[in-house]
Amino acid sequence: MIPFRLAALIRRTGRVAEPVPAGPSTRGAPAGDPFVPPRELAGSVGVRHVDAGSCNGCEIEIAQVFGPVYDAERYGARLVASPRHADAVLVTGVVTRNMAEPLRRTVDATPRPRVVLAVGDCARDCGVFAGGYGVAGAVDDVVPVDLSVPGCPPEPEAIVSALRRVTGR
Amino acid sequence: MSLSDALRAEVLLGAVAVVVAVLAPSRRRSVLAGAACTLLGLAGVVAGVLAAGGARGGLRVTPFGAATGYLPSVAPALAPDRLGGVFIALAGAVGAVCALAGIGYAHGAAASRTGWSAFALFLLGMQLVPAAADVVTFALAWELMALASTVLVLAEYARGPGVRSAGVEYAVLTHASFGLVLAGFAVLAGHAGSTSFAALAAARPDDRTAGVAFVLLSAGFATKAGLVPFHVWLPRAHPEAPGHVSAAMSAAMVKMGVYGLLLVTVRLLPGGPTWWGAVLLVVGAASAGYGVLQASVISDVKRLLAYSTTENVGLIVTALAVALLLDGAGSPAVADVALTAALLLAVSHAAVKTVLFLGAGAIVRATGERDLDALGGLEARMPVTAAAFGVACLGAAALPVSSGFVAEWVLLQALIHGPGRAHLVVAIALPVAVAVVALTAGLALLTFVKAYGIAFLARPRSVGAEQARDAGPMMRAGLVVGSLVVLAAGIAPGPLARALAATVDAHGIGTLPGWGLDLPAVQASLDPLALLLLTAASAVPVAVLGVRAARRRPRRDVELAWGCGGVRSAARMQYTATSYAEPLVRVFDDALRPSRDLQVTHADESRDVERRVEFRQRVGDVIADRVYAPAVAALFRASRAARRLQNGSIHTYLGYAFGAVTVILLAVTW
Repeated sequence: MIPFRLAALIRRTGRVAEPVPAGPSTRGAPAGDPFVPPRELAGSVGVRHVDAGSCNGCEIEIAQVFGPVYDAERYGARLVASPRHADAVLVTGVVTRNMAEPLRRTVDATPRPRVVLAVGDCARDCGVFAGGYGVAGAVDDVVPVDLSVPGCPPEPEAIVSALRRVTGR
Repeated sequence: MSLSDALRAEVLLGAVAVVVAVLAPSRRRSVLAGAACTLLGLAGVVAGVLAAGGARGGLRVTPFGAATGYLPSVAPALAPDRLGGVFIALAGAVGAVCALAGIGYAHGAAASRTGWSAFALFLLGMQLVPAAADVVTFALAWELMALASTVLVLAEYARGPGVRSAGVEYAVLTHASFGLVLAGFAVLAGHAGSTSFAALAAARPDDRTAGVAFVLLSAGFATKAGLVPFHVWLPRAHPEAPGHVSAAMSAAMVKMGVYGLLLVTVRLLPGGPTWWGAVLLVVGAASAGYGVLQASVISDVKRLLAYSTTENVGLIVTALAVALLLDGAGSPAVADVALTAALLLAVSHAAVKTVLFLGAGAIVRATGERDLDALGGLEARMPVTAAAFGVACLGAAALPVSSGFVAEWVLLQALIHGPGRAHLVVAIALPVAVAVVALTAGLALLTFVKAYGIAFLARPRSVGAEQARDAGPMMRAGLVVGSLVVLAAGIAPGPLARALAATVDAHGIGTLPGWGLDLPAVQASLDPLALLLLTAASAVPVAVLGVRAARRRPRRDVELAWGCGGVRSAARMQYTATSYAEPLVRVFDDALRPSRDLQVTHADESRDVERRVEFRQRVGDVIADRVYAPAVAALFRASRAARRLQNGSIHTYLGYAFGAVTVILLAVTW
């Protein structure tokens, strides 16, 4: 009884996920970007997200990226809980004073080869919070950043294409 | 060298050790007296091995030479049989290792003249008990052992009132056991008409006499061995004694109680009725279960080891009881296997407990802490002690490659291969015994994982543990020798098992080529050496390949463990022994009856604000609290009431005398 109802529900709902663009997209990357993803990470990447002091706008977009509509897992990117299991560290938000050292420790705990992605305007250049009293700087001031995604917040497709640049799928 | 020469050497070395202990200058005393005691122990090993191998010989000590008119029947006679030889060798080996470690360990009160001479007499007494050929010699050697050990328990009396009360409790219970043993021997000797063991063994008392003697003797020996419910002195006395002394007490003296039980059931009164085996099985199983349960929830390392001694002696007596039951039920082959298991358990426990108590002594010396909750991180600071203690923990938890594993394996084989159709008691007893042994093995594993893991692994939980340094060279030597014995008996069990079986005329124990153990009576065999080589052969290539693959990348040293971006390295954030054992305290709540006390101090302004919360949990000994304490209190009440008879008035006393004379006159003339 139940399997038949499930099959009917699947047939009714159809496919919600966005169609896959052909080939790895370079959208969002400035021309002449020297980033070359490490050979070992091709195909699948464990991503550890660190909120260094964001307003949660970028987090909502990242939640959509790993949801059923934009579904980044089909390109090989997966959220992991511990930086020890991660290949890439996804940093959002401006780096506050309290989070500078934990962010450094998190990236230190990630085994090499590793990639650091800065997502959002705050992570790239402090965004609207530049000059605040609790702000230690942009992510690049604390840890070396390999790839950044501009936007406030960035579109989920932009985040997906950044991840696809790392996995190459 | 003949057995008589070895025994003479033993007694002489004992006297020499006492003289050295008294006369040596205090700076050299530990070295000289310790060396003398080590030689005494080695002489015991030689004598014991000769006796166990079947050598005949003896020694008759005639005080005052030919003037025996002064002391007609007090002429100690030593003539060990094969079983006695095993226990002499055991006591000698344990004594030698403890004396060796004691050279480095003894300090303060334990290194005084009293301390070392009492230790020498203690070792001598332990070695003479199994060699005794008659009741009087047995009693003399037993008392020597008991008095010397009482002195040693009280050696550090200045540390506090706890030591003194432990010493008193130990003295009272040890002499109660002595009284029971003497009473039992008196019953047997009265029937046989002579006090020599040969005469007692030859005489065939009727069922009632034998039953009464059995009850008295087993009660006495069970107290000495530390079996439930007579065990209350063990967890109080063993922790208070100095380190090398508690090792000797727990490893060897307790075995004299076991020797007594074997003497009664195997040599003096063989072929007893079924209820003897049933009683011993109940006592042994209860001791094993209760001992390991208490050990698993206690965090004082020396008390934990003392309760573990109760558990192991319970297992030995369980094996003995099963052997008696199976013998009576007509399966002598399997009974032999069980009896060999009892001896293997005794030898294994002696080696394991020596190392464990010496290790505990080293820990207490190095850190100043006795509580597991305050230790930790000692593996890096005390590597040799950690390695030896680890091997001994393997033995105590009966894990492979150790002697404890071999002994429990033999016991389980005997239990599982019992007769299919047998007496009702046997049919119930064997599965119960299997269940108890299995529960004990599981809890023992938990106990020793706790003991080793909390004490040696992770990070130090106190300043004392942080500043620990490894034990001195003599202590390390003792620890290493003991752990080598544990490993040797675990890897090459065949020759040892066959030798032990021969001493009690047990057939059906064989060896495999390569020192393995073969039990044709139950169609089982164990070859630890082959298993070890096979494991090494399959594990070593994997390990080599793994290391080589890992070396391809440069190794990166990690300073900080991942703590979610913060520093989660406070030592307070670790398991403690109490928290590790908390599930057991909850599950076995009815058997342990922990007392819990919660004190909440409120702030003055409001009852809703708490200023201080204090929680106290105490797991005491149920039998000591609910049986012994009320009994002792009642005894004191009765004594206080009886004091009213002695009111100091001369008139009352004259009245008593008058009344007594009147009663006697009436009784005589009636």
